[in-house]
Amino acid sequence: MNFATQTQLLFRRKMLELIRQPVWIFAGLASPLLYLALFAPLLGALAGGPGFAGSSVLDVFVPGVVILMAFGAGMGAGWITVAELDSGVLERLTVTPASRFALLLGTVLRDMAWLVIPALLVIVVAVPFGFHPNPAGTAVLLALASLLTAMTSAGSSALGIKLRQIGSLAAVVTGLQLPLMLLSGILLPLSLAPTWLQVLAHFDPMYYAVEASRTLAGGSIVSGTVGVAFLVLGGLTVLSLWWATGVYRKALA
Amino acid sequence: MGAQQETDCAVSTTGLRKSFSIGRKRVEAVCGVNLCVGRGEIFGFLGPNGAGKTTTLRMLATLLQIDEGEAIVAGVDVRRRPGDVRRRIGYVGQLGGADLPATGRENLMLQGRLYGASKAETSRRADELIELLALGDFADRSARTYSGGQRRRLEVALGIMHRPDVLFLDEPTTGLDPQNRANLWDQLRALRSTGTTIFLTTHNLEEADALADRVAIIDHGTVVAEGTPLELKRQIGGGMFVVYTGLPPSEMESLRTALAGLEPISEARVDGAAVRLRTDNGRAAMSAIARVLESRNVPLAALSLSEASLGDVFLQQTGRPLRDAGQNITEISR
Repeated sequence: MNFATQTQLLFRRKMLELIRQPVWIFAGLASPLLYLALFAPLLGALAGGPGFAGSSVLDVFVPGVVILMAFGAGMGAGWITVAELDSGVLERLTVTPASRFALLLGTVLRDMAWLVIPALLVIVVAVPFGFHPNPAGTAVLLALASLLTAMTSAGSSALGIKLRQIGSLAAVVTGLQLPLMLLSGILLPLSLAPTWLQVLAHFDPMYYAVEASRTLAGGSIVSGTVGVAFLVLGGLTVLSLWWATGVYRKALA
Repeated sequence: MGAQQETDCAVSTTGLRKSFSIGRKRVEAVCGVNLCVGRGEIFGFLGPNGAGKTTTLRMLATLLQIDEGEAIVAGVDVRRRPGDVRRRIGYVGQLGGADLPATGRENLMLQGRLYGASKAETSRRADELIELLALGDFADRSARTYSGGQRRRLEVALGIMHRPDVLFLDEPTTGLDPQNRANLWDQLRALRSTGTTIFLTTHNLEEADALADRVAIIDHGTVVAEGTPLELKRQIGGGMFVVYTGLPPSEMESLRTALAGLEPISEARVDGAAVRLRTDNGRAAMSAIARVLESRNVPLAALSLSEASLGDVFLQQTGRPLRDAGQNITEISR
């Protein structure tokens, strides 16, 4: 049985699981739409001001929201991993000849697929309110966002296996999520920040993604910012997949 | 170990060991287990919780690294070729492992295909197992809606989807009501008749006695007895008297002490409302028991003579009754 078929079967299982839990679908859509509805209007007053010069407020804000969605889409993976440890599904699957990497990829690919659909929806909804996305740039933006999702999905799955408890997992994930989001400049551009905060932001992989997302939505695909973001996120995704596969191999024999 | 013996065993282990660190303490979970499970038999691994049953099973099923010793499953060395072992075994863990959001049929289809069978072949096999394990009424519903017995049957079906040589079952009937348990026993017997070797753990004496062709009793990581249930029960010899009295529980212990002091009685223990006595000389024991009861003015509600049970075997080998063995020492001495 080849690896591709295994991955496809396990991905299919994960997609079916998702489709059957409408609550997850609504929860995934709720927060980005709430940001657009309840936070974006606050930015209106800043239009043309520092950090927003020359562009619509939504042109700055929406790409960041897509990156935020990408981060969140993967971060939930660990919850399901813990549930699957408890129900014994993961144990059962690991006694089959299925590859551990295929097991991991089933989850990661599902999260990536489930990022792209709501992200497109958010982009489309934002257009009539003044968001001007460049189509080619948006496509590349979604690719970059998927990379971030793959990174957090693999990392969160592995953390779930290591911690084995929803409580500890929730503490670690939310503990990471807030500082990473604040430092990334999603809510307000970091060009407004004092120098020390700008320096600190460079240790946050999401910062690179957010910077590149704005460039991409604006239509400049070949740029240093974008290149750096792909390098940073690509490298971290490979690291994250490698680490998670190791955790799967070790913990699930 | 000779080549001959290896071919006779579906599962064989030599000096199998496993220890864990719990905090700063090193706990020896399995300390040198030697086993040979014959081809096509139902083998019962009997012991209290924490005796090392599950740890042994998980090592054999490639889920836990073996610290020391050798294990051959379905002719394959577990340490050297775990991947080949996986193809030849089925495993149903204590947690079960049904994928709850999916339907029973979807569970079976995924399982079959992960073993490399074609879609058509898997679909045929799924139909076969749905029939065999009576899953028909609910096979196309989400497994989340299943009752305990239905779910367990699905999990057994998952374990045998790819027609494994050896099926490992960890406490398969725990949590099932008596009827579902009896049904599952029948299904496991039917499976044995198709040539599958079944290796199951249980802490239930009745189950080991009724279902297993051979039993190994494990305690503190060591096999203390092995044989057919009948052999084991005969080994301890003699008979068991079970004395039922109308005494309140508080006075049972003093009666037990008095009876234990009798010459023909080799062992006495309180078992609920009864005192169980082991003897090699039934006739002498009978009159001695009657005399004690008379002198203490104890009403005799019933007296029965029974053959030794696997519980008696466990008691003889370990010095404590199986039902207490999982608890701590102060509990037992009370």
